[in-house]
Amino acid sequence: MTEEGLQGVRFFEFLTEEERAEFAEGSELVAFEPGDEIIEEGGEPGSLFVLTSGRVEVRKRIPGGGERLLAEIDATDERTVVGERGLLGESGASATVRAADRVEAVKIPRQTFRRMVSEGRPAAFKLSYRIARTLARRLTRLDEEVVEAIRELESRGETDLEAFRDKLMTDWAV
Amino acid sequence: MQETPSLRDVPLFRHLDDEELEELEELLEPASFEAGETIFEEGGPEERLYVITSGTVAVHKRVLPGRRQRLATIEAPTVVGEMGLLTEPRAAASVEARTRVEAHCIDRDRFLEMLDEDSMAACKVVYEIGRALANRMARTDGTIAKLIARLEGGESGETTDFEIFQDRLIREWSF
Repeated sequence: MTEEGLQGVRFFEFLTEEERAEFAEGSELVAFEPGDEIIEEGGEPGSLFVLTSGRVEVRKRIPGGGERLLAEIDATDERTVVGERGLLGESGASATVRAADRVEAVKIPRQTFRRMVSEGRPAAFKLSYRIARTLARRLTRLDEEVVEAIRELESRGETDLEAFRDKLMTDWAV
Repeated sequence: MQETPSLRDVPLFRHLDDEELEELEELLEPASFEAGETIFEEGGPEERLYVITSGTVAVHKRVLPGRRQRLATIEAPTVVGEMGLLTEPRAAASVEARTRVEAHCIDRDRFLEMLDEDSMAACKVVYEIGRALANRMARTDGTIAKLIARLEGGESGETTDFEIFQDRLIREWSF
């Protein structure tokens, strides 16, 4: 894989050139056609993707059928990272990330990352710190959502539930 | 006096080699709390990371006015103060010792300095913290998904017993 894929990605600025090369070695350049799933909801914990161009949709299945659009991300302006949680954690993805048009990405496979961790490579641990910070910020927001939900429920239906649900969905988006 | 278990036995430190463990050991200070003592107060400062090696702590939060909700009871080995380390140094919930608690603590600012200097000892600790956060986040996602599903059900005219649902939500929420 070429190193340039990882360059200019804010997420990887903290790495030295050498460390970026280590990641580049174990990563793959991948492309998705419109409609392709990059990350599948409920699928095995997977890889991290640095989206370098194209647009993606983040969707979540709704019990009883159907899907909801949680977010649209345009990677063309700013390179975006998806799949951080899957890289570190043990559980499947909470939402599907689907290509809305042709998407190019750098894939850091879970196996590559795990191998680097077991080899004690500094680059892998430095990446973990960045991911942990991202996850902590998101988790804080999720916790606030749950608190707000519990408080809303306290009003026992005096609130417009439909509007509240829509707000929850929007705010939840990653 | 009860002896504090060695750092080697703490899962959080399992990736550290001897040298890294020594580096951390120099910065860690022993701390202990008696049953009932507060480690963090909700809304108060969260400027230290505690690696708890023995004992049990309880996590409480004022979710509803006038009610202090117990969110979790956590047994050693565990770590508290990690959210303060990675986000704002303000406690989102109270953490209280349920039994006598033995811990090692490190100053948040010092630990952040180590991370900024790319200390491998610090990065390896945060790797384990990150794994724990990823798994907790998956559970919280699940809770929110159930909440939304329930609200969808409410829309179709099904009567929702808000009180029962609210209790369940609080119980299932893995803070």
